[in-house]
Amino acid sequence: MTNKNLKFLEKKLKLSFKDSLINISEDTRIIIIAQKEQVLNILKFLKGKGYDHLALISCADWIEENEFELVYIISSYGDPHTNWENIAKSKQPIGVGVNIILKTRISRENPQFITAIPVFENAEPYEREIHELFGINFEGHPRLTPLFLEREYKIPPFRKDFDTRKYVEEVFDKIPFVEEKK
Amino acid sequence: MDRKDIKKWIKEPGKMGHKYSLHAIYFCTGCGIIEVPPVITSRWDAERFGVIPVATPRQANLFLITGYVSVKTLKAVIRTYEQMPEPKWTVGFGSCPINGGMYWDSYNTIKHLDKYIPIDGWIAGCMPRPEAIFVAVTHLWTLIDKGEAKAYVKYREKYKYYRDNQEKVLGKLDWPALYKENQK
Repeated sequence: MTNKNLKFLEKKLKLSFKDSLINISEDTRIIIIAQKEQVLNILKFLKGKGYDHLALISCADWIEENEFELVYIISSYGDPHTNWENIAKSKQPIGVGVNIILKTRISRENPQFITAIPVFENAEPYEREIHELFGINFEGHPRLTPLFLEREYKIPPFRKDFDTRKYVEEVFDKIPFVEEKK
Repeated sequence: MDRKDIKKWIKEPGKMGHKYSLHAIYFCTGCGIIEVPPVITSRWDAERFGVIPVATPRQANLFLITGYVSVKTLKAVIRTYEQMPEPKWTVGFGSCPINGGMYWDSYNTIKHLDKYIPIDGWIAGCMPRPEAIFVAVTHLWTLIDKGEAKAYVKYREKYKYYRDNQEKVLGKLDWPALYKENQK
């Protein structure tokens, strides 16, 4: 049944978002590669279809292509009171256990993007984390303050051009042992 | 109580009392803390050695640092250590506090814990067996007996340098100095 729902969803998505690449990779997985302008619209569309759970926002640094890739993973727990037969009749597909992977690329020189908080409220900590570790600025985010890290880094530490070994040598190895001081 | 120990008890009752009542602060950092619940409960029963976990640093005199210390944890470690009443002993558990362990080139994990707070002894290994805690405790007894477990005295004497090192990593500390007389 899930597969049928997915096919239906794929058809709908292809109709609404012609620029995006959409394919079903496995029985329970659909991958959407979208332009960055389309992302919020696709998220709204999916939420309207019943995929109301944003599981994760992740980020990857493609340094050779000079781009960041943002990955949104959306799924649905489904409504526990759902009457599945009615849904099948009304053609409102909700696939429980389906993962929708929405990928988009943004430029590395100007790491700006729009926040997904208006659609999914739980995007806030994920975006804060990505802001801290990759230095991507999410427009419209209410508080992009430090989340995990105590120190300030010149280059955000999860970027590929951040040299951890050099950083450790410069910071932690330079601190002297107390016995050496007199 | 051992009959042979009576002499020691009469001579230095305070020392003997400290020795057999180690109250370990239940401070969880890193993966090593997973070894502590079996140690304090019936499987290995640390109370045979007089070690018992307590909830707050003000009741504790043994500090087990059980794993990697990130910069954020270091702040908590220092605050906890400074709140403990003297005499107090610290033991680094696992290879990460010794020299960084597998986090030796991490951007956010401090490598040598003894640069920031004084350590009485180390338990090496990744992970050490729970028995290693008892080896450490019995070794700590002999150190206390000999009067060599004096890391807290060292902290008082070299507080200036320790605070200096702490501020190098954490920036300006937002709590007052513990020992005023040794400030720069």
